[in-house]
Amino acid sequence: MADNMNSTPNPATGTASGSSSSASSGTKLHPLVEFQFDRSWQDELQARLSKNGPWDDWTLYKLAVEAQEAEAIGSFDEMQCLRTLPELEPMPHQLSTAGKVVHEMGGRAILADEVGLGKTIEAGLVLKEYMVRGLVRKALILVPASLVLQWVRELNQKFGIAAVAQKKAHMWHYDVVVASIDTAKRDPHRDLLLNSDFDLLIIDEAHKLKNKKTTNYQFVTQLRKKYCLLLTATPVQNNLDELYNLINLLKPGQLGGQSEFAANFVVDKRMPKNEEQLHEALSTVMIRNRRGDGGIHFTKRIVKNIPIALSPEEMALYNGVTGFVKEQYDRSGGDLTSMLSLVTLQREVCSSRDAVFLTLVNLFKKTAEDSPLRPKIWELVDTIKQITSNTKAEKALELIRQMNEKVILFTEYRATQEYLLQFFRSHDLVAVPYRGGMNRGKKDWMMDLFRGRAQVLIATEAGGEGINLQFCHHMINFDLPWNPMRVEQRIGRVHRLGQTEDVKIYNLCTMGTIEEYIVNLLHEKINLFELVIGELDHILERFEEKEAPLEKQIAKMMLEASGDSELKNRIDELGNTIGQLRNPKAKSPSSKQKSQAEIGAFLNRVSHEVEVRP
Amino acid sequence: MNQKQVHRYLQQYLEATNCHVIEKSPAHFTVKLSPEADRILTNRPYYWSFVDRTGAEPETMSFLFVTDKEKYDAQANQDPGSEPSQTTTTAPAATAQTAGQMNNQVNQALARSYGIVPTQVLAMNRIPRDDVHFGSKRLKQLFAAAQDQGSYVYLFQEPDSRSRNPFDSTPYTPWLGINVKVEFQCDRKREELYSFGVSMATGNCVEQFHQQLNSLKMTPRLPANVHIAPAGISLKKAVQTVEAALERKLKAQSYEWAEEAQKRLEEEQGIVRHYYDKLLSSAAEEQKEAIQSQYDSRKGEIDWQFRPRVTASAINCGIFHLAGIG
Repeated sequence: MADNMNSTPNPATGTASGSSSSASSGTKLHPLVEFQFDRSWQDELQARLSKNGPWDDWTLYKLAVEAQEAEAIGSFDEMQCLRTLPELEPMPHQLSTAGKVVHEMGGRAILADEVGLGKTIEAGLVLKEYMVRGLVRKALILVPASLVLQWVRELNQKFGIAAVAQKKAHMWHYDVVVASIDTAKRDPHRDLLLNSDFDLLIIDEAHKLKNKKTTNYQFVTQLRKKYCLLLTATPVQNNLDELYNLINLLKPGQLGGQSEFAANFVVDKRMPKNEEQLHEALSTVMIRNRRGDGGIHFTKRIVKNIPIALSPEEMALYNGVTGFVKEQYDRSGGDLTSMLSLVTLQREVCSSRDAVFLTLVNLFKKTAEDSPLRPKIWELVDTIKQITSNTKAEKALELIRQMNEKVILFTEYRATQEYLLQFFRSHDLVAVPYRGGMNRGKKDWMMDLFRGRAQVLIATEAGGEGINLQFCHHMINFDLPWNPMRVEQRIGRVHRLGQTEDVKIYNLCTMGTIEEYIVNLLHEKINLFELVIGELDHILERFEEKEAPLEKQIAKMMLEASGDSELKNRIDELGNTIGQLRNPKAKSPSSKQKSQAEIGAFLNRVSHEVEVRP
Repeated sequence: MNQKQVHRYLQQYLEATNCHVIEKSPAHFTVKLSPEADRILTNRPYYWSFVDRTGAEPETMSFLFVTDKEKYDAQANQDPGSEPSQTTTTAPAATAQTAGQMNNQVNQALARSYGIVPTQVLAMNRIPRDDVHFGSKRLKQLFAAAQDQGSYVYLFQEPDSRSRNPFDSTPYTPWLGINVKVEFQCDRKREELYSFGVSMATGNCVEQFHQQLNSLKMTPRLPANVHIAPAGISLKKAVQTVEAALERKLKAQSYEWAEEAQKRLEEEQGIVRHYYDKLLSSAAEEQKEAIQSQYDSRKGEIDWQFRPRVTASAINCGIFHLAGIG
């Protein structure tokens, strides 16, 4: 029997697809409303009558009706999708946003929530609602390449939507496809997509489309779509034209022509005028939620630095490596780029001897046989041999035993990970590894083990999709990355929406080494561990506008400093600079900062405050 | 659909497709599928084409369907080691278990001498679990299966056996029964279900026909001592009667929603017209074509998005022979 539930009228002809005119009646129920009755069932019934069967089962006949009754959409207004998603508990602002998009905005909207408020959830709810109602069958989701898999997983797991990541050309024909925009706009995909009709188009990180001259922008303009969602946390970054372009992508002409928009709403590039009218116009196409000032945002982060005194042997290795690194740097005449492996060495020495050993061996292999370096490297290897125990690992073991709860332990190095796995195992502590190179299945398996009987997860990778560890609220930084974003990613695995406990963060910090300064920088100066989610982005963005990336600067300081106290002072200075960036208002603002503050204030005025509770 | 309804639905489906329920509780079913259900539910076309071509004895899959996750997990936790709801374990399952244990011992003995022996035991012990709730993939699959295999019926009402005189012949009337889904759609959507029955003897048309049938017992075979009233109207005529009745009902509805949708549609078209007319008037000649095509495409999108329309389709239908003259 023809199931017309998902039939999508073809925009070109404006008639319902699937049923030819001979098989349906077309009459008017109302001057505006055409009525189609699919008649294919009549022929089938007649055919079976004349052939005397085959006939279907009475129970199944009744069950078919019961199924339709259960799935029938009783009202235009009520959200239908939640009853099909018993596991999902969206937050109130996410629900109201999805409802508003579907019921008031006709399914075309810019979702511009602040970072961390769940734009993906809102978009998922809208998609699911339309699918449940049979208004969307074919959906295309364009996102940055790095987010493709994350989207696929979220849609599958949270929303029960069979989304696929586009990998082969034939996969475009699946109903819900997630792809990167850079792939989609290239041949041969481009023509195929431009010749399709999409019931819903979703674009994540849509601020990348702020320039209407780019090929991406033009490509999206040309895609045929019924409903459309643009997701971005920053609908305006530098000037109001960006906002205009974004809206024109969604609904061409909504704010008039470019010149009208400029005349009606813009004083200079950044200052809006006739704000009230602009707000009104915006509210029909954009929803922005931001955290309320009074709400409890997340559970607390409790940070504890665990000072560790190295054993004399370990200290000897540290000093040996430090001396070696500096000597090489001086000899190279201050060339930073060739020093990468040396910097790594310096960082590894704070983690474990195993990590250092591996790098030293590789370095040894790379140097010429008669190089004067070789004996020096051997000397270091000899020093390693003197070390019998790992003070840090012992401290970590002690900590974990005390907690007696699930712990995630992060290290930067594979070798350290391997060592810790063995070390913990030899002390009857069940630990499982997790790293970026594992395939999806293995990652899932490790997660299941961790959820189950393993007390400890030892991870080398914090980024990437799929590790949501809200059930665990202890984390140990066995060593610290020098890039604060990576630290933030680590914390974000555990400290996120859905975490109900305060998160306890332990930083293992070897005294008298560079690690001590790094912990000090990240903790005391940047106050990294207590920042609101998303805030670090802004700080680093401001910082790196003028300066080299933070980890590079630290490396440079380390290599150049003549002694410990100089290093300490320089890192302190760096910390102070960043500390000031946290409060740009305190300084006399530059014109750029001023304009951003203006745009920020403008955005705040068009947004709704929401209380976000874990 | 709440958990209880899902549970009942599943049970009816399993019974209708002759699946073997190994054990059950109000929170779950453990079931060995019948061949017909296996073909539809397990997505193993290669296996089934192998069976069909070689004539091999099919080995169907078993499933644990959990309809009340919380209750089932609570039971399982209370009762570690053994499966929940042993209480309702039926006899065949118990024998299967002891047989399984024996098998196990045999296999262990064999394994000692010959190494690992591949057996069915693994497959028997590992039954995939499936949580079935409204919105779950499995239930959607069952819905689709019911729709697919419950489309066209030809049935007779089962006579009430007690109060019948064996020498009497009861008159039966054939009815055309049809269930219809009506979709009211613009950028939003609502649905209504209708059920009509038309007497093929008199052309009399009734509503809520399915609800009326629901309480009756039906059989695919012609009962004894029954005579069927001759058809007074053709199927075509009956169908026309249904269509007319449906249209009459639909015309009587309020179409405020459609008027509002039309208003939105015209507003949007107005905005687009204003924008593109200006753009076209100031554009260079060589750009005009591209702008015009964008304009047309956008107009098409708006129409697609907002235009109010109503469509109807049959869910299923059949000929029902009911006692009495209708």
